[in-house]
Amino acid sequence: MLPSPQASPRLITPAIAIVLLLLATVPFWIERIGLYPYLGVEILIWSIYALGFNLLLGYTGLPSFGHGAYFGIGAYAFGLAQFNIVPNLWVCLLIAIFAAALAGAFVSAFISHRRGIYFALMTIAFGQVFWFISIKWHSITGGEDGLLKIARLPADFGVVQFDLGSSNYALYYFVFAAFAIVLVGLWRLVNSPYGRILQAIRQNETRVTFLGYSVWWFKVSVFTLSAAISGFAGALFAMAQTSAFPDVMSLHHSGYIVMMTLVGGGLVSFWGPVIGVFAFLLTRDLIGALTTAWMFWFGLFFVLIMLFKPEGIAGLVRDLRNGFIARFCTPSPAPVRDPGS
Amino acid sequence: MLLDLLPHLVNGLTLGLLFALVALGFMLIVGLMEQINLAHGSLFALGAYFALVIVGGERSLSPWIGDAWYTLPIAVRYAVALVVAPALVAVIGMGVEVLMRRTYGKDPLFGLLLTFGIALVIEEAIRGIWSTRDYVLQTPAGISGGFIFNDLIWSTYRFYAAGFAAVAIGLVWLFIEKTPYGAVIKAGAHDNEMVRALGINLSRLRLFVFAFGTLLAAVAGIILAPIWGIRPHMGVDAVVPAFLVIVLGGIGSFWGAVIASLLCGMLVGLTGAYASEWSLLSIYLLLILVTTVRARGLFGKKSLLEN
Repeated sequence: MLPSPQASPRLITPAIAIVLLLLATVPFWIERIGLYPYLGVEILIWSIYALGFNLLLGYTGLPSFGHGAYFGIGAYAFGLAQFNIVPNLWVCLLIAIFAAALAGAFVSAFISHRRGIYFALMTIAFGQVFWFISIKWHSITGGEDGLLKIARLPADFGVVQFDLGSSNYALYYFVFAAFAIVLVGLWRLVNSPYGRILQAIRQNETRVTFLGYSVWWFKVSVFTLSAAISGFAGALFAMAQTSAFPDVMSLHHSGYIVMMTLVGGGLVSFWGPVIGVFAFLLTRDLIGALTTAWMFWFGLFFVLIMLFKPEGIAGLVRDLRNGFIARFCTPSPAPVRDPGS
Repeated sequence: MLLDLLPHLVNGLTLGLLFALVALGFMLIVGLMEQINLAHGSLFALGAYFALVIVGGERSLSPWIGDAWYTLPIAVRYAVALVVAPALVAVIGMGVEVLMRRTYGKDPLFGLLLTFGIALVIEEAIRGIWSTRDYVLQTPAGISGGFIFNDLIWSTYRFYAAGFAAVAIGLVWLFIEKTPYGAVIKAGAHDNEMVRALGINLSRLRLFVFAFGTLLAAVAGIILAPIWGIRPHMGVDAVVPAFLVIVLGGIGSFWGAVIASLLCGMLVGLTGAYASEWSLLSIYLLLILVTTVRARGLFGKKSLLEN
């Protein structure tokens, strides 16, 4: 269902270039259309998180319902490293990524021999364990209030230093750079031989085993990588929010990332998670301005998507495009879908 | 020593029975239909809210029910709530089943995701209708209050609830194991083509099982409301222990889930004696420990959900 790997061997496709260019101009127009720069920061952070998550759900076919845990661990680790070790952005980010990766490796070592629903249920159990610890371990995590007063550390490149705390625009460009790196890195990864094996695992785990690959190892490694990316997003989130709190680790928030990824079309498209994050956060802000029950409407939308179009918005767009091609460009013998189907 | 632990043991046992009661409907649906109903928790909450409206207490809750109704004795209102609220929830449950039909035969993940979405919608609807505040469900005088035994105060309601749970578990077991309906339902889960070939309307059967499972969810919600409180979040708080004991007991095993519930209840009760803050964590650790050694839980059998 996902685009076949050899179709786009390039490091940067036109789509990536256009999206990045468009996002780079966001600070110049976002306030003119009535939104605010912090929304851009949030969208990019959640997009990093969703892209990392979709590596599991969309590419490897592993449903994780406790992924908020790794996002939260990244956020807490970022805050704790800043308070207790050294207030240096790079060190704190690395510690956050490492902490989340460690937690992901630990969990996946326990559950990677499981499949399907059992896998999903076990990720819920582990997610709840981490959530529970974050609430109860007051002396470390600050309990239900979380860690407060996390600083937006300056980005120090040796020769030049950027102050990220002064404005949301500075933070936006930092998060934008992080997003660009993750986006290009993941695009490269999913089109690598490693990424192809992940997709093979999604299609038929047993057959991959017969081909001589250690499925367990691939599952553990991709879970760890996904947790690390989530932790990275969590650290950026802690910086954006200047706090880390247990809410993001709850079952609800873990569910939101699943919803975003699926609504956008993570099952069929590399861009699905990003589309879903846009849909989710824009619904929150635009519908949320009209009614406090915006989640009701988004939930309803999600139910409809699950019922009628599990391929999500990306799947809808693809169908429309195919339909358009079939209708107006049929004289050419291009390999398009049969118009009757 | 043992006498000191007695209240914790009793507490654990009653909690175990309550866990089993919450899990009962979830278990029925997953065991007989191999569908994960994540909306179980929201329907559980909905049962409690419907009962709240019927039993009353606050005038603002239910402008559409006449004043005359609330002059009736509380025992009558409570008894009516215990019948009517689950019946209403069962109708909603049927609606959920009709929606779920589209996911049958697909990856079981879609059923799970769909019910997650439905759970969210129901929870948000609850927030919209009844706001986010906490409510207390009134209970008849006969089952509320407490009594003193062995120099300790015991809650009467807790024993009533645990007893109710035990009876409900027994009745559901009798229904599944000892009646022809139960036999047909089990056969439907086992080999649905054969059941269809015998001329049984399977989709009606599934509708019925789903309605029954959600009815049990609502009953559990009403019984637990006075203990756990009524708030929009109560559904999530309930569905997590429910799925936990089912995975622990082994999907598809009735007594596995009941034993797992009692085990979890006792564990929470006993760890509560030493570290009350952390007592709930112990059941997650137990689950992880057990499933590491026994992949299908204590008494699990192979199921479709593993594919």
